[in-house]
Amino acid sequence: MFTSRRLIVAGAVLLVALGALGVGLQAQGVKISDPTSVVMIVNRDSNDIAFMDIKTKKLVGSVFLGNNVNPHMVMMSPDGRYVVTGGTRANKAFIIDTKTLQLVKTIPVDIAPEHLAFSPDSRWYYQGNPEGDSISVIDMQSLSKIKTIPGFAEPLNVTFLPDGSKAYIGNYGAHWVGVVDVRRHELVKKIPIAEVPGVSKLDPEKYLGEIHGINIAMPSPDGKYLYAADGTLGIVGVIDPREDKVIKHIRVGKDPWRIYMGHDGKYAITPNNGDETISIIDLKTNTVAATLEAGPNMTGVNFAAGKAFVISSTSGFVYVYNMSSLKPAGRIKMGTNIQLETATTDTKDEKMYLAESTNHEVLIIDGKTEQVEHVKNVGLFPWGTHIMDSKDNYCH
Amino acid sequence: MGRSLSVIGGAALLAAAIVCGSGVAFAQATQKPGQPPQMNMANMDHRGALSGRVRDGAGAGQANVTVQAVSQENGAMFSATTDAQGNYAFGALPVSKYEVSVTRNGLTAYRKRDVDIAMDGKAQLDITLDAASAASAADFERQDLLAKIATLEQRITDLESSTVLSEPETRVRRVEVFVDPSGGEHDEPVPGAKKEITYRRERTYRRQTISEKIDAALEDAAKKRVTVGVDAAMATQFATRSRGETDPANGAYALASADLFFTAGIAQNTLFFADIVGLSGAPPDSQIPTLTLINGYTARLVEQNSLNLREAWLRTEVYKNRLAFIAGRLDLTNYFDANAFANDESTQFISDALVNNQMLGLAVNGVGAATEFDAKNGFKAKFGFQQSSPEPTSLGDSLFTLSEVGYTFTPFKLPEGNYRVWFRTDNSDPDVIRKGAGLSADQKLSPAVGLFGRYGQQQTALGDDRFYSGGFSFAKAFIFNPEDTWGVGYAQMDLASGDKEKLVEGYYNLLLTEKLRLSFHLSSVLDRPAGGERFAYLFPGIRFQAAF
Repeated sequence: MFTSRRLIVAGAVLLVALGALGVGLQAQGVKISDPTSVVMIVNRDSNDIAFMDIKTKKLVGSVFLGNNVNPHMVMMSPDGRYVVTGGTRANKAFIIDTKTLQLVKTIPVDIAPEHLAFSPDSRWYYQGNPEGDSISVIDMQSLSKIKTIPGFAEPLNVTFLPDGSKAYIGNYGAHWVGVVDVRRHELVKKIPIAEVPGVSKLDPEKYLGEIHGINIAMPSPDGKYLYAADGTLGIVGVIDPREDKVIKHIRVGKDPWRIYMGHDGKYAITPNNGDETISIIDLKTNTVAATLEAGPNMTGVNFAAGKAFVISSTSGFVYVYNMSSLKPAGRIKMGTNIQLETATTDTKDEKMYLAESTNHEVLIIDGKTEQVEHVKNVGLFPWGTHIMDSKDNYCH
Repeated sequence: MGRSLSVIGGAALLAAAIVCGSGVAFAQATQKPGQPPQMNMANMDHRGALSGRVRDGAGAGQANVTVQAVSQENGAMFSATTDAQGNYAFGALPVSKYEVSVTRNGLTAYRKRDVDIAMDGKAQLDITLDAASAASAADFERQDLLAKIATLEQRITDLESSTVLSEPETRVRRVEVFVDPSGGEHDEPVPGAKKEITYRRERTYRRQTISEKIDAALEDAAKKRVTVGVDAAMATQFATRSRGETDPANGAYALASADLFFTAGIAQNTLFFADIVGLSGAPPDSQIPTLTLINGYTARLVEQNSLNLREAWLRTEVYKNRLAFIAGRLDLTNYFDANAFANDESTQFISDALVNNQMLGLAVNGVGAATEFDAKNGFKAKFGFQQSSPEPTSLGDSLFTLSEVGYTFTPFKLPEGNYRVWFRTDNSDPDVIRKGAGLSADQKLSPAVGLFGRYGQQQTALGDDRFYSGGFSFAKAFIFNPEDTWGVGYAQMDLASGDKEKLVEGYYNLLLTEKLRLSFHLSSVLDRPAGGERFAYLFPGIRFQAAF
């Protein structure tokens, strides 16, 4: 009798403890336990970041950032703890707790924040401000802006070296790449990608009009070199980060938008919007291995299942290329009168998640079968997607 | 409506702030040492006192100095004046932290923050007016000013970010809806519902800058416009006879050409195109009887100084844009044997033997149609027919048909190459259908060097005519300017009639601007007419081309 009473009491205590634990967990509001299990979707016009479960293809939550924020690019910190985005029309950086999907901090930055990057140790969040010509440095320990690095010309993308010692800034309003010393958060060097040709003075419309400079200095998969495509000059400059100088020029097609690295480290691709081609660059020889016909207004390249998928935003097509034979492998019609934005690839290199803004959907492309699945109503004007540890995380 | 409410709300807040500010101003009070303080009865129980002595650097008391205490919590201001010994006293200050300052001759001589007045407490603060206190006060003022500047900067940033268009944007979307048997429309599938397409207006709230809005409007307008393109060129060539007695011995020639292109999108995936061309001048081909045209522009010369409709057609694409149909007045050579390195007299070789395969056989543009299948995997197939008679009597009169199969790939680890084979028929001769066939290839050997070759053969009454051409093209290397190109080519024609021709040409094409090119050409041609005397000419030349 005594034993059974003790058992009842013990059971009751256990139940209460479990209940309390459950309440505790519920109170914490854990919505995402595995940061690699979701696709993040930037919804420009509904001003939120939506989170879609990769397995179920259902939205597990979204974080509203505020009216007229117009977020541009989303990225998860390498440690998976935070999700950040720059609100282009709010001039603010937004920091979201990944687990709870709570907006934990809003930090004023410079004008029109767009693209961003994290240092490999997740300590620093560099937010590029193209209209402020600056980079805002945000300390992810204190969640505060510690510095604004001035002196850039439409800084569009930031990339860190694998050891986190330096960051490279692509300046779309100039023909140089900025080198930032991450210890001091200072612009320490400007690397000109190529000389402007002598005939440029005869062509003021091209050279003094809207400049299409450098979108990004993209590290090669082995991290040894950086590749920066210059739109106006039609050149990819290969930068040796040990000396921070250009060691080779690769002439590609007209108006390359930027460079995208293949996952196997053999090839990279520049989509050339000036002549609607792609240039496939052999990373071993640093030469153009093939120039192939593509489509208009290309906004991104993804790699999956041994193929390259080139997004032609206004045509409604994704162009496919076989990366073994380096030849066209057809194209996938995604729709008519639609606007394709950018995509991310899952970590298995199997599926791509392409934002389609006209119908507010995400298109899931199977790299192997090229079948397309539509996930509708993800938010208004989905602008880009992101998966933690994906090799194809980029933005416009 | 929302904005109006915001404005009203903001105004109300502002008014409240002014009223509060006024309240603070009204809370100012002046106290003299020894005088009873002007007490607010409601706060009487919670007040504290602050007193002390104001001295100079030497320790002497300073009379008639005004000491000010400002609450850091609500901005309430109090002041007291020192007596003859320099003593001052605030008998009853509301509980708060205060900023205490002394101003002399318009300058802050002393300032101290966080002076705590506790409930019923008696705080003591002696003030020394010396250089150190003045410096400290000045630094304090500076920090205060910097804080105000930072606030101002923040307000300007906020203002900048808000000076954009934030009116709702309306756009019409094509959407799929589901209509149930009762006629109800649903956005998601429901049992028994039928999928239908409809159009729906949608409103979004996005801030746009004025320039973004203008760009969008211009882009929208551009889509509705008829696009006009111009390709104007002038080719000057000098003929120097190097062999034979054929007239003329030497001469200078020039031909000016202007093409006007009109393009308009008239339906989904449907395009209208027209090309009007006018030529004027004397090409060497008007006097020198070579087998092939020395100036490729001559092929367009129908009538001097008059405009001719060269092409006018409609093109539409179906089957996921893989299959295209073109119909109208055509130049089929534009769609067949499109060699990448030797197919454009305006930017590459100028000799027609290095522009077209001479065995294609088309002389005059006419009514026709073509279809192109582009699998987008490197495979292309084309078929077309066209009348090639200036005055046809029926659709079957002087009818050419052309078929081509092409493939693009990267053989032997080389860059891309295009390979084509074509076949044609021609019923220009009465009661007989003449046939012709040919090959065309262009292969990049490296990013800088390209190789091309052509072969063609056609039936004639006398036997088979044969044509060969080949050469190299260079770009991105061995050049003066980044987008210059140059090439050398050789062509040979052997006709069944016994006429033969060998031609060599080299050119350098200098890209001066995106719209202006200057080319230098040197051609050498050796002709051996059947039963006639051999003759040879050298043709140095310059070509200006403007295209926009």
